[in-house]
Amino acid sequence: MVTPVTVTMVLAAVVLSLLAIAMAWVLGWANKTFHVEVDPKVEAILDVLPGANCGGCGYVGCGEYAEAVVHADADVALCAPGGAGCAQRLAEIMGVEVTESAPYRAVVHCAAKRYQRLQQTPYDGEVTCASANLVGGVQGCTYGCLGLGDCTRACDYDAIHLVDGLATVDYEKCIGCKACARTCPRNIITMVPFKCERMLVVACSNQDKGPDVKAVCEVGCIGCTACSRKAELMHMEGNLPVVDYDRYDATADFTEARKKCPREGMLYVGKPSAEDLAAVAGETLPDRVEADFRTTVDDTEWRG
Amino acid sequence: MPSHEPTAAERFINGIIPENPVYRQLLGMCPTLAVTAGMKPAMTMAAATAFVLIMANIIVSLIRGLLKPHLRILVFTLTIATFVTIADRVLAAYLWEMSKALGPYVPLIIVNCLIISRCEICSSKQGPGVAIADAVGMSLGFALALASIATVREILGAGTWFGLPVLSATWWPTWGVMMLPPGAFLTLGLLLGLAEWIGQKKKQSSA
Amino acid sequence: MDTLIALIQIAIGAALINNFVLYYFVGICPFLGVSRRVDTAFGMGCAVTFVISIAATLSWAFTYFILRPEAPLPTWVWETLGGDPGTKVDLSVLSYIMYIFVIASSVQFVEMYVRKFFPPLYKSFGVFLPLITTNCAILFACLKILAELQDPEQLWGLHQALTLAVGGGVGFTIAICLMAGIREELDMCDVPKPLRGAGISLIVAGIMAMAFAGFAGMDSGIKDALAMFLK
Repeated sequence: MVTPVTVTMVLAAVVLSLLAIAMAWVLGWANKTFHVEVDPKVEAILDVLPGANCGGCGYVGCGEYAEAVVHADADVALCAPGGAGCAQRLAEIMGVEVTESAPYRAVVHCAAKRYQRLQQTPYDGEVTCASANLVGGVQGCTYGCLGLGDCTRACDYDAIHLVDGLATVDYEKCIGCKACARTCPRNIITMVPFKCERMLVVACSNQDKGPDVKAVCEVGCIGCTACSRKAELMHMEGNLPVVDYDRYDATADFTEARKKCPREGMLYVGKPSAEDLAAVAGETLPDRVEADFRTTVDDTEWRG
Repeated sequence: MPSHEPTAAERFINGIIPENPVYRQLLGMCPTLAVTAGMKPAMTMAAATAFVLIMANIIVSLIRGLLKPHLRILVFTLTIATFVTIADRVLAAYLWEMSKALGPYVPLIIVNCLIISRCEICSSKQGPGVAIADAVGMSLGFALALASIATVREILGAGTWFGLPVLSATWWPTWGVMMLPPGAFLTLGLLLGLAEWIGQKKKQSSA
Repeated sequence: MDTLIALIQIAIGAALINNFVLYYFVGICPFLGVSRRVDTAFGMGCAVTFVISIAATLSWAFTYFILRPEAPLPTWVWETLGGDPGTKVDLSVLSYIMYIFVIASSVQFVEMYVRKFFPPLYKSFGVFLPLITTNCAILFACLKILAELQDPEQLWGLHQALTLAVGGGVGFTIAICLMAGIREELDMCDVPKPLRGAGISLIVAGIMAMAFAGFAGMDSGIKDALAMFLK
């Protein structure tokens, strides 16, 4: 019976099937014609990489780094979050040798909390270190941490915070992506290879000497050179001591040097030791409330 | 890997307020803003979405064994499109005025992020019972969200609720902006802020 | 000349007066999600405009020739089967399914094409393409074209459909770039905690919608102005 309803239904089914077949055919053809040759090694490397797209390797994302390793001879050990294990596996995929290396972590070369900085003036400008650095005169020390949080905002891993106005790295969370080091307008954050859980660092960047430093800071290094004379891994560059991290190892002993230091010039930084954890075991952590803005598009999973 | 898969009852309760699609997951904003000028269109849209969500969840859950990974989104979308066509035709047949008022927003249920997201997350991996519970919970949550926004907009914007006069026109200057797009955005933004604030207060008091 | 003025009216209508995001509320998810920085926002806007034009063209073609009540194909089939010319065969029930099919396939096709022939372009907005498949804005443009094709008085041709699509895409790009610029500034402001993220973005969108409402009447104004000039 050729009623309009029958014809509609049959025609609808036919049109849809034809459309589906046509689209499938076109897409199949496109898949073959537009096929982009992807080296299987790139896929394998992408699987190994953590996929954080942090940019710490110097490439825009993990995809870029994978391609650079395969096609552009990039070093296999550049992935900081991946660490030594990732470098090892990348080396296996590429068939090269990898030298044992330590993970790099961010170190802030300043120990002055806000109440230890002298000659501070009230600052009402834009609350960023970059602006305060340009304006000048916000605090006496022109080398040290301004404590306005550019590094905290640059960090995607919640690994650096302002404690009493001083940028402080949380070594449980830092993955060494160098975002904070790149952002700091005073360049006082450097990447240090962490060969041990806790490393000795020089916690000052002030290149002036003696009375000039004392005028602007209660704890900065005055360049007395006592430490470099006592510790063989330290030497002076200008008025600041520098630790030789290439020769640094667990046996390095800085106790004499630290006893001699009249200021707070050298600190051990890193993950908290067992004694530190035991000391604060009784206290509860204050709640940090953060806005939870998850959208469907921010996730890497498909959402519409 | 979750330590335990939520049960059907848990999913049902989850969808209403804890994982409310609009206030917590921020999905399905397009219809939330578009149809909440009054309670009637809002509830019609909620009913239509509920129908599509439940039916799509059932079907996807039944065919979940046959889904190829790279084609699954297309399959979800086609299933949803079928049910939306049904819903649209039913509305056009029995509620012509409302269908005209809702206009292009009924077919836009096809691309409502909420439905595809539930198919992807829940019904493509769980049995029909759990999928139905999840769908019903989410639909209730969505209806609740739409109702809250539509109530604010309709009462402030026209002094009525479901068409029944609530605020007398003699002393309430109806806020025309509430019926227009800016009112929709502002209402949703402020209500989202309120929901967030309530959530934070709850976290603080329970912490 | 009248056609050109009508096209300009459609374009301005779709881009400014009846902006897809700020008036019709479509495309809110990417509007809120991708508008953190202006360059990503612009990439998303370009991708949407690109896909909307392709999808609109294909869906116009399918609707004009197959899906509307008086379309050539079903009429031809009906009459070949000896049906009486008074009753028509109406396939418009397939519209939504067909549009979704068209959109999903064309996005897939475009993604493959761009990846092969324009790698730098793929790197900049390729990742947005799968997200656009369910962008309400694309389907909305197709539905608007369907509405105009179902009205026997309007019966839009391809030029009108394409103008609406591109105008809508451009309007989306304008809105999303404006939002991205504002959000970059908002990052430095002290927004109350409950409103951070989605809340303040929606309030800003509301104010933008009010601003864009000021464009109302611009299309007839331009029409009159152009009619005067081109007389």
